Amino acid sequence: MWLALVLIIVLTVLSIYGAFIGAERAQQFFNQPTLAVYWTALAVLLIAGIAAFRRLLRVPGLLLMHAGCVLILVGGMWGSQGGHNIQKKLFGIDKIRSGRMAIYENSSENHVALDGIREQKELPFSLKLNDFRIEYYQPVYLQIETADGNVQQVIAEVGRQIDLGAEHGKAEIVRMFENFKMSIQDGKTTAYEDPSPGLNPALAVRITPPSGEATTHHVFSLHPGFGHTQGGPKMIYDRPAYRAISDYISELEVIDREGNIVAKKDIEVNHPLHYGGYHFYQSSYDDKAGQYTVLQVVSDTGLYVVYAGYWMLCLGVIWHLWLRHIFSRFKAKNT
Amino acid sequence: MEIKYTIQGLLVYMTIAAYLLAFVTTILRRQKVGHIIYLIGFAIAVCSFGYRWYHVRHVPLQNLFEVFLCLGMIYPVSLFCRRALRVGGYAADMLIGAIVLFPAGFVFNAQPQQLPPALQCWLFTPHVAVYMFSYIFMAKATFQAICQLAGRNPKPGENLLGPEESTYRIICIGFPLLTLGLILGSYWGKLAWGDYWGWDPKELWSLVSWLVFLGYFHFRYMFGKKHPRINSLWAITGMAAIIITLLWVNLSRLFPGLHSYAT
Repeated sequence: MWLALVLIIVLTVLSIYGAFIGAERAQQFFNQPTLAVYWTALAVLLIAGIAAFRRLLRVPGLLLMHAGCVLILVGGMWGSQGGHNIQKKLFGIDKIRSGRMAIYENSSENHVALDGIREQKELPFSLKLNDFRIEYYQPVYLQIETADGNVQQVIAEVGRQIDLGAEHGKAEIVRMFENFKMSIQDGKTTAYEDPSPGLNPALAVRITPPSGEATTHHVFSLHPGFGHTQGGPKMIYDRPAYRAISDYISELEVIDREGNIVAKKDIEVNHPLHYGGYHFYQSSYDDKAGQYTVLQVVSDTGLYVVYAGYWMLCLGVIWHLWLRHIFSRFKAKNT
Repeated sequence: MEIKYTIQGLLVYMTIAAYLLAFVTTILRRQKVGHIIYLIGFAIAVCSFGYRWYHVRHVPLQNLFEVFLCLGMIYPVSLFCRRALRVGGYAADMLIGAIVLFPAGFVFNAQPQQLPPALQCWLFTPHVAVYMFSYIFMAKATFQAICQLAGRNPKPGENLLGPEESTYRIICIGFPLLTLGLILGSYWGKLAWGDYWGWDPKELWSLVSWLVFLGYFHFRYMFGKKHPRINSLWAITGMAAIIITLLWVNLSRLFPGLHSYAT
């Protein structure tokens, strides 16, 4: 028991030290070989304790708690970088522990940049990014007023169509810009998203009259009225200066080596993709032009062992400290 | 220190006033009146929490202001401890209620915030709520531990347990909640950040809190009530670790980490 208490105190002291040095250094510290010895000793002591102390075997709550801790330790070590290295040496399982991958819209990727080292590895399948988008709490609106005074307001999003009536045809939002810029080459103007810092939100709206050629107009949030044309509809891009982000979404497809789509998922924060022994998380994105997404790739090795340990620990603690007392009270009342 | 001239602020101040009045009345041996005022204070605390919920349109457990607002609803815990566990410290609970509401009333910013993407998860409410419950229980346990160290025992006619036994009983209720909070947080970390354990300062301090109470159980199993003062010191150390986890980690620049949105 003294040894158990000493190991608990040692872990407490190490955790306090880890809290002061920051997450990154703490991760390195707790994963170094010396600490691996400590984790192994802790797991072995727990197993030895279960075998040696009869009470731990006889009392189900205590058994669950201690066995749960063993599973958490074993699962954690098995899923660590050291555990992956051992699996590679012993069983030839060459799995990526963790890394990141950047995927451009409408292209597929299977290369993962490994965390901590300058090395890339390939996944046995590819991920295709169909679309990356950011959703905001505050919606933005496009307001259109036609020459006859008819006013309509719609949520501004790409693909949104507005029927302007038989006389005026229809309007469609074809592109949204965060930082609109225009370039002129050979006398031809082209609108583009400027990745450099700056804010010039704009919408590209295509207006198709009933009998005529479609024309594209640009509507600016910061310069209302700038794009108005004589006789054409008046448009206002209503967008608050600051918008809180509600979600980041990457629409993904998993493609196997034969080129078949084997899974599809729109991943967002708290909703990762799980495929082929890996979890894929929304990690970052192209904050300049929104053209690519960055996914975090994490191996699921050892994860379910840890989860089983969590369940056992929870059940054990609740059973031992709460439920068995409640049941024994009921029993005593009934007899 | 700032005074909140809002309905929210008014509700917080009314709760603090009710709790303090209930405390003074109970100390002056007007227990029944004290109990009624305590109950009124709790009703205002619930209104305050409900108002905040309506105002921000999500369960108000996002930042320290909201967390302390939640901690102010201490009455059910107080009642449970007295009725089910035969643990005293009823008047102290009123004071604890006023103390935990003080930062909400005068220190933390009440500006409503929208939930960032990481907090939009079904685990948000259970993880934080379970922790809040455990913290209230552990605060009560600490008060009993202090009583034990000070040599204060319940009066013979009160039919209450002694402070050492009371500390143990309350920790027995709070520890499973602490465990559940830690595990739910870990599971959520896996969903949101890709790792069930990120070695973040807040995670490490919450592990420290858990380990200290784990140490308490092991020590008490080894020696029973032979060293009541050391038992009490374990409990007080556990509470100190909880305070660091809840406050210091979020407020100090010493511990930058993933949980900074709670500031």
